[in-house]
Amino acid sequence: MARNAVILAGGQCKWGVREAHLVDLFQEAAKACLDDVPTLKPKDIDGLIVATSYAGRCSFQVNTAPVIAERCGLKPTSICTRCDTLCAGGSTGIILAMGLVQAGAADIVMVAGGEKLYTPQRWEVFYSELASVDHDWDGVHGMGLPPPFFALTAQEHMMHYGSKKEDFAAVSVANYNYAATNPVAQMQKLLTMEEAMAAPIVVPPLTLYDCCPITDGAAACIITTDEIARKFTDRPLVYLRGTAQVCLNSVSANFPGAHLADWKHTRIAAEKAYKRAKVSASDIKVAQTHDCFTISEVIEVEELGFCKKGEGGAFCSSKQIEIGGKVPVNTDGGLLAVGHPFGATGIRQGVEIMKQLQGRARHQVKDADIGLTHNLSGANAEHTILIYGREPVK
Amino acid sequence: MAVLGIPILEDLYPSTMDMWPLEAKEFNRNWTFYENLKQGRLTTTKCKDCGVVSYPPRVICPECYSENLEYIDLPKKGKVIIFSEEVKGVPLGFQSPLIHAVIDLGVDPARRLLTRIINCPAGALQRGDEVQLAVFDVPALPIDKGKLGTIMSERVFFAFEPVKK
Ligand SMILES: [Zn+2]
Repeated sequence: MARNAVILAGGQCKWGVREAHLVDLFQEAAKACLDDVPTLKPKDIDGLIVATSYAGRCSFQVNTAPVIAERCGLKPTSICTRCDTLCAGGSTGIILAMGLVQAGAADIVMVAGGEKLYTPQRWEVFYSELASVDHDWDGVHGMGLPPPFFALTAQEHMMHYGSKKEDFAAVSVANYNYAATNPVAQMQKLLTMEEAMAAPIVVPPLTLYDCCPITDGAAACIITTDEIARKFTDRPLVYLRGTAQVCLNSVSANFPGAHLADWKHTRIAAEKAYKRAKVSASDIKVAQTHDCFTISEVIEVEELGFCKKGEGGAFCSSKQIEIGGKVPVNTDGGLLAVGHPFGATGIRQGVEIMKQLQGRARHQVKDADIGLTHNLSGANAEHTILIYGREPVK
Repeated sequence: MAVLGIPILEDLYPSTMDMWPLEAKEFNRNWTFYENLKQGRLTTTKCKDCGVVSYPPRVICPECYSENLEYIDLPKKGKVIIFSEEVKGVPLGFQSPLIHAVIDLGVDPARRLLTRIINCPAGALQRGDEVQLAVFDVPALPIDKGKLGTIMSERVFFAFEPVKK
């Protein structure tokens, strides 16, 4: 009989341009994670899954799991490994940890993700980003940094569905304002619609606040069973109800949708995750979606089924993504304002959903009982969805 | 010439920092793609067993796992579906304006090929414009052949450029 997996604890270090080494960031995140449930000690943890993509490139370190285990005072006996799915690395780690604890192959797993992207040379991170997409076929065209790809995506959404620059700006305003009081966010400022609309151009139609920053940072969470979690906490338990990870292509020429604003792979992932979680889109009370760009969040609320296809722009600009709206999205500030250290992002999202479902989030959604996290990775090559709930799937 | 901060790399080639593909036969079983490019041909692989055409080229057919593949030519002209122009903040290795386009070569699987558009000033390109294959030289790949020394393997890459009206 499979066991029920829960997310027990979690935290992140300060994200931004950090004067620190990669292993420093992981130590800060591990401490923030265990500080969240002080009864839990490093010796209780029997598994570690590390999510990092750029350690090999930016910190000259592969096989990162033993390094992180040692620096964080962990001595895993069930699993000690690393995963790399770039922007979805943290979520992938949570899915793997869930499977291990459900199967009884591990009991208390720390999933820790992080990146140190700012190197002593400013050109290097941009240059290395050519590896973030299919290098020899897309990266080599100068498509490494994603703004051009999502500028094309935004153009096709405007062309096919009539979304407007104001809709994109509404997403950045909402997410920046969620993060304004978040002490660990990279961007902590209130943003007005006027500022968002007047921001400098990056790649038309995308302007400054449409794009998430480059971020150093780490986050960590604990995945265990409900029975074990009960020994450490009196808080409501937050169960992993269903997950999906869909990859239909890598090279952009093989993009599965009819055009770049048609995310067939997101729909397949959502359908599968909802089915496994035995919920539907209308059950989702709060979501953390992959707002690497404002246009991404606009399309995600459509493909996840929060509104009709093509109406994501209106959904966002009519405040349905804000507290009191139909589905509050990226309630801690999202990638746009908290930042995006690739391997850490999925963990940050899971921790925010945990807090929402436990009723202790900074911007609390009333009666939140089902929450969702979503990532896309690469040149929109893979989609990862996790659904959390206050009750296990029966 | 020494590499700043890493004097031991004097006159050495750090291939992990090379932005262009390792195209040479010694490092790539799809080297024929690049040899064809040198002849001005944009090609990819077709399965001789099941007929599936794949892009990018493969060493196995992704449909039936046959190794019985042949190179076929893709059209050298296409139409711009959409494009983006990056004028400021262009990354190292590329010149402003950095123009990206999704182009339609009119055949599967190249109906939405992402490419760079070169030889085109900012503000000149329009949706629907006809573009053609443009092959250019990139720095040769230094390959360490042991006692034989280092050989330089010539390399090219491709983009598309506007067809003169
Ligand atoms: Zn075949």
